Order: sequence, then structure tokens, then C-alpha cells
Amino acid sequence: MSRHDAAGSGEPVGAPPAAASGLSERTARVLLAHWPLGGLVHAVARMRSSVHFKLLAAFLLIAFVVALVGLISLEIMSRMSAQSEAMHRAHQRVTSAQDAQHALAMQMNYTAMALILRDEATIASILRENNRLNAMLAEVEDAAPPEEREIIQRIRGAQSDVMATVADVANLVRDGKIDQAMNLQLKSGFPLFQQVEGLVEQVVRIEERNMARQRNATALANRHAIYLMGGLVIAALLLALLLGFVTSWSFILPVRQAHTFLSRVAKGDFSTTVTVDNRDEFGELAAQMNRMSAELSRLYEEQRAAARQLEMLNTQLARASQAKSEFLANMSHELRTPMNAILGFTEMILDDIYGTVPPQLRDPIEDVRTCGQQLLRLINDVLDLSKIEAGRMELSLTDYSVQEVVETARTSLRALAEEKGLDFTAEVEPDLPVAYGDGKRITQCLTNLVGNALKFTKRGRVSIKACLAGDRVVYSVADTGIGIPADQLDQIFGEFRQVDASISREFGGTGLGLSITKTFVELHGGTIWVESEPGLGSTFHFAVPLRVAEPTGATEAV
Amino acid sequence: MSQKRVLLVEDNEFNRKIVRNLLAKQPYELLEAHDGEAGVAAARRDRPDVIVMDVQLPKLSGLDATRALRAEPETANIPIIVVTSFALSGDQKKAMDAGASAYLAKPYSPRQLLETIRKMIGDA
Repeated sequence: MSRHDAAGSGEPVGAPPAAASGLSERTARVLLAHWPLGGLVHAVARMRSSVHFKLLAAFLLIAFVVALVGLISLEIMSRMSAQSEAMHRAHQRVTSAQDAQHALAMQMNYTAMALILRDEATIASILRENNRLNAMLAEVEDAAPPEEREIIQRIRGAQSDVMATVADVANLVRDGKIDQAMNLQLKSGFPLFQQVEGLVEQVVRIEERNMARQRNATALANRHAIYLMGGLVIAALLLALLLGFVTSWSFILPVRQAHTFLSRVAKGDFSTTVTVDNRDEFGELAAQMNRMSAELSRLYEEQRAAARQLEMLNTQLARASQAKSEFLANMSHELRTPMNAILGFTEMILDDIYGTVPPQLRDPIEDVRTCGQQLLRLINDVLDLSKIEAGRMELSLTDYSVQEVVETARTSLRALAEEKGLDFTAEVEPDLPVAYGDGKRITQCLTNLVGNALKFTKRGRVSIKACLAGDRVVYSVADTGIGIPADQLDQIFGEFRQVDASISREFGGTGLGLSITKTFVELHGGTIWVESEPGLGSTFHFAVPLRVAEPTGATEAV
Repeated sequence: MSQKRVLLVEDNEFNRKIVRNLLAKQPYELLEAHDGEAGVAAARRDRPDVIVMDVQLPKLSGLDATRALRAEPETANIPIIVVTSFALSGDQKKAMDAGASAYLAKPYSPRQLLETIRKMIGDA
């Protein structure tokens, strides 16, 4: 009975959709708050049958009531028709009684006329009126009440005396004995007439009274019929309204509950449940929705736990990555300090600061310098990588010469090419305009590619080319080395990537160079790509804008 | 006119030795300091003609030392060559902002350092 309590205390019964509020909504609220209606709605909701059955039952019940009203109306109409028939008959009897009265009067009149006119025709008229009187009496006598019948018998008896006297008067008139006839008429005929007239008068009164009674009865019956019909129609109407209201609200209420519930779920409140009294499809639906909500809640909790775990993992990873970058940067610094001393001392020895270097020592000392520089490049690569990973790599934009870039790369590696006995050429398109970008980094890129080419080529040729293609400078490094299998081509620009482990054993290297080169090329807004034929050689290209667009802030000129 | 004086502020003995050897045959007098505080003290006391200042120093960093010297009128005009081995992007800007006259990234070539010193103070 919780529904009643809720409705009785005037609480809103499920939030209606905004458009539905209004006068009809307020009316419905008031009606629901009223105990019998709220109770009925509740009872219909709790009926253990399908929505289809409930709707069908309500419609059939209304249809039955309408049919009943129709039948009762037919019955009333037939009763009214019978009443008017009776009325008509009563009227007919009054008319007949009056006709009898009239016939008697005419008979008297003709008897008097016969005494004056003394002809057969008038006498015949007396007989005709006598017959009319008898016929009218017969009509009235039919279906007459007993006391009336008795009066009519008395009329017949008196009338036969009248007719006997009339016959005597007629005979005296035929015989010319007018005085005797007149005397007979006055003495015997007239009193008899008066007696009959009085009796007929009584019959007329009775019939008139009957008719008046019938009229009253008919009027009463009509009034009753109108009341009955009206009452039935109003009752049918009320029943239809009641059934419609109760049925529809037993469906609307759970829909409202479901609406409120779904709104909450849509807002992310998965702990909510929907309570519906219905034991029909709506009840089933509510149970399903509760199951859905529980499942959603479970999934949400799981997902949140997973997200928390991921977030924690992510933080740990970010911290580890940061630690790694810092470690690399610090290591690079610690490595560069002794490198400074090694290269510095070597350079000063070769510059004869410590006296002239004996010829047999110059070569190994130069080797020390070459290896030292190689080691420095490696350290620089590691530092660059840590900066790239930390997102702190920026370009120093300035004017530079493409010719100089190629020349620097060639000069720094010429010794290596000569040592391996490789043909080493460089070709730059003449009259290239001054380029704008990070010349040092472009040089580093080209040096990386050339260094790789020399490393992976045992015999043949390594050639550098630089030319202008539209508004881009394309640098190409071609070799006749071991080449790269087609399925590895798109992987080699990743960090620490070499074609396979045996390659690094045979040729050495960290696999950092290409990854860093790619990053620098892309920081310039350029692209890098490679064409290769295993066994025949590879050609690496990179294209950078001749003049790099100046980014807003965050750069500095050297 | 006496020899021009170069103050080297550097904590690593080998790197100090490089500069010592490099300037041995040059007409410069070399003064040495092992940390930032000693460097600032030496600069105040001796008023060198040029200072070669490492950045990563114990006690007081090369950049802070440079700022300190620039803040004092007696030392504000001494050329300072800042040397760093922590060549992150923006280090040069930081050095220049601190008041450095020139900037060298380690490892530098001794030849390059000598040229820079000459550029700052001339031969004799």
C-alpha cells in the first residue's frame, strides 16, 4: 500500500516529461491523490496479467456497457410505444362512447321529427341511429371493466324498452293516431330516453376518466424512461473515463519511474534502482533495467579500477622515463668532461705544443683523435636521444651553406673511406642559395648517413649528392654496401634498430644514428626515405626546406 | 706593461692542465681557481683581464659566479668566457643572460679557446 501513502502525502509520482505538465497533469495528480483512484491504479498495476490483456479487458468492458445501454434503450422505447398505443385505444373508446351519446340524441331527435313529419324515412332514420348506438356500445363493451359492462347491459335493456315504445309510436303514426302516439311518446318514450341517456352519460364519464388516467401513466412512464436513459449514459461515460484513467495511469506511472531511472543512469548514477508495482511487461522491464543498472555499475567500477591502475602505471612509467632521461643527460655530461681532456691533449700534442711529435708517433696519435671523436659523436647521440625523449630538443636556426654541410661531412669521414679503400665522392648543385635552418644538425644528419654508408660498404663506392628540388634541398647518400631487405625498410628509422643482431656484431654501432637523423629532419619539417637492394647497396635521401619557417619563440640563433 | 692575466675557474685537474699547457708558451699569466666561490674571490682580488669560467662547479655554479661578478662595478667589465659540458639547448642563452662575453661547449678545441681569449684581450 506504499503507493497510496506516497500518493496520499502529495509526493510527485515520478517526474513527468516537461511537456506533459499543465492543467491535465495537475488534474491527474489530484485524482491520483484521492484514495479510491490511487488504489485502483495500484490494483490494476499489480494485476498479474499482460498489458495486452488489461487493455483488451478495459475496452471490452466499455464496449459491453455501451451495448447494455443500447439494449435498455430499445426496451424503454418499446415500452413507450405500448403506452402510446394504450393512450390511442383509450382515446378511441372515449370517441366511441361520445358517438353512442350522439346516436342516442339523434334517435331522440328523429323520434320527435317522426311525430311531426309522419313519414317512413324518418322512422328508418330512428332505426339507423339505434343500430349506430348498438355498434358504438359494442365497441366500448369490448375490453371494458365489469362495472362498465353492467351499465352497458342496463343500457341495452332500457334501449330495447325504448325501441319497443318507438315501434308502438311508429305504428300509431302509421295508423294516423298522432295524438295517441304523441301521448305514448311523452308518457313512456321520453322517460325511457332520459334513463338511457343518463346511463350513456355514465359510460362516457368512465371512459374519459380512464383516458385521463392513461395520460398520466404515459407521462410518468416517459419521465422515468428519460431519467433511466440519462442515468445509464452518464454511468457508462463515467465507467469509460474511470477505466481509461486507471488503465492508462497504471501504465504511465511505471513509464515515469523508468524515465526518472534512465535519466539518472544517463547522468552516470549506476547505483540507482527503479521500483515498479506492476506485475506485467512494465514490471518485467523494470526488473531488466535494474539488472542492467547493476551490470553497468559493476562494469563502471571495474573500468574505474582499471583506469586507476593504468594511471598509476602511467605515472610510474613517466617517472621511470624521466629518471632515464636525466641519467642519460648526466652520464653524457660526466663522459664529456674526460673527453674534453682526451681530445684537448691529443690536439695539443698534434699541434706540437709539447714539442715536435716524432713521425712514428703522429699516426697512432691521430688514430687516438679519430677514435676520440667517434666516441664523442656517440656520446652526443646519447645526449641528443635523451633530449628528444625529454621533449627538450630544439633547433638553433641560422643561415648556413649546403656546400659547407657536405664539405664538413666529407672531410670528417674522408680518412675512414681512404682506410677502407672506398671510392668517396661528393657533388653539390652549383650556385645553391643560402639555406636557413640548424646547419649543425643538418651536418650531423648527413654525417650519420655517410658514416653508416661507409660502415656497411666493404668495397665499391659511397657518393654524396645535394640538389635543390622546388623549395627543398635533397641530400642523398648512395653506397654499394650490403643493402636492406624490403621488409625491414620501414623499421630501420626506429631507435636501436639494425637489420639483425649479426649485423651489429659484424659492423658495430648502436642503431641510434638513423632515429636521431629522422627526428632532426622532421624537426626541420622534412622527410627521410631509403631505397635499397640487398647485396647491391642502399641510397638514403632526406629533404628539408631550403628555408625553414621560423617557429614562434623557443629558438635561438648561434 | 705587464703580461695580461687569465683567470681559469675549473674543478677538473686535467682540464686545468690543458689550459695551463696551452697558455705556457703564450704571453699570458694564468691564475687558477677550483670552485665558483674561489673564482669570484680571485677575480675581486686579482682583477684578471679575462676569465674562463666552467659552468658545472662546486659551491657556486659558473653562471651564478658570472652574475655575481657582473653585479660589482670593479669586476663588471671583465670579459668572461663561459664553458659548459652540459650542452642542452638554451645553455648558450642562459650563459649570455648571466653576462658571459663568449660561450664554448665542451669538448672545445684548445686552438678554439686560444683564439677566443685572443679575441677578448689581444696578444700582449
